[in-house]
Amino acid sequence: MWHGLLLAAFGGALVGMQNIFNKRVGERASSWTTTTLVLGMGFAASLLMGLLTEGGQLFHLQHMKLWYGFSGMIGVGVVVCITQATKLLGPTYATSIALISQISFALWWDTQGWMGLEKVPFTLNQAAGVLIIICGILMFKFGDRMNMLGGLFRVKRLEKE
Amino acid sequence: MKGWIYAVLGGGFIALQGAANSRISEGIGTWQAATLTQFTGFVTALIIALFVGGGSFKDLKQVKPLYWFGGAFAAAVIYSNVTAIQSVGLTLTVAAVLIAQLAMTFLIESRGWFGIVKQKMGLPQFIGIAMMIAGVIVLKS
Repeated sequence: MWHGLLLAAFGGALVGMQNIFNKRVGERASSWTTTTLVLGMGFAASLLMGLLTEGGQLFHLQHMKLWYGFSGMIGVGVVVCITQATKLLGPTYATSIALISQISFALWWDTQGWMGLEKVPFTLNQAAGVLIIICGILMFKFGDRMNMLGGLFRVKRLEKE
Repeated sequence: MKGWIYAVLGGGFIALQGAANSRISEGIGTWQAATLTQFTGFVTALIIALFVGGGSFKDLKQVKPLYWFGGAFAAAVIYSNVTAIQSVGLTLTVAAVLIAQLAMTFLIESRGWFGIVKQKMGLPQFIGIAMMIAGVIVLKS
């Protein structure tokens, strides 16, 4: 259990770092140039790791299905949607909504046992847990815009200005 | 409204990517899944970049070479994501990813690492991350 959570957190920390790196690239290059570079690097690194750990076995795709070949396009869908949302709503709103959407879809699909996921019954604890996580996301993103706790956060914001 | 739809779809696609990668890994193996999906994504993006995308690959020369390699993290990200989904399920995996992701962003932005303009980060972000961890504990119980 902890092993899985720690591994996920390790991946998440890398996502946070990757976002910063990609942002730096995006400052100088167009959105599609950046996306191509990012996915190309991901391909090169995965290929290298696959070859190092499995050698030629990497290319033995016994149980290959057609849709596996198209699944990578989801990543392109992510870029289009997030770029458009950021343009229309600004980064804070766009990422907050996307993060909340991500955890909500995850809970929905887990409880449906969709895509071969191990089906888990929907419980009140799960709903409460996800709701608290959503509040946490909102606090992280909008906390310093809120004027609460006797202006404690506002002081922080004024310091910034 | 349109912005909302894009943002919700974007988040949905990220969750879908995790679920799909996990499914594909069961079929052909984890490194195979990572290599294949990144390859398809790369080719698709390249075609779009060549035909419709403005800008040129020469622009990349203006970027500090270190930042070219951000995408390479995807190999480790996909591997850990898939392994985590298979062990704790999608919801807990996404939750742990989001917490670590925001914590890392918080750290980098508050220290001004990697040439990012240093930002005042404070109590609200700490409370936010603490709430998310509390949410995971409730989720698990």
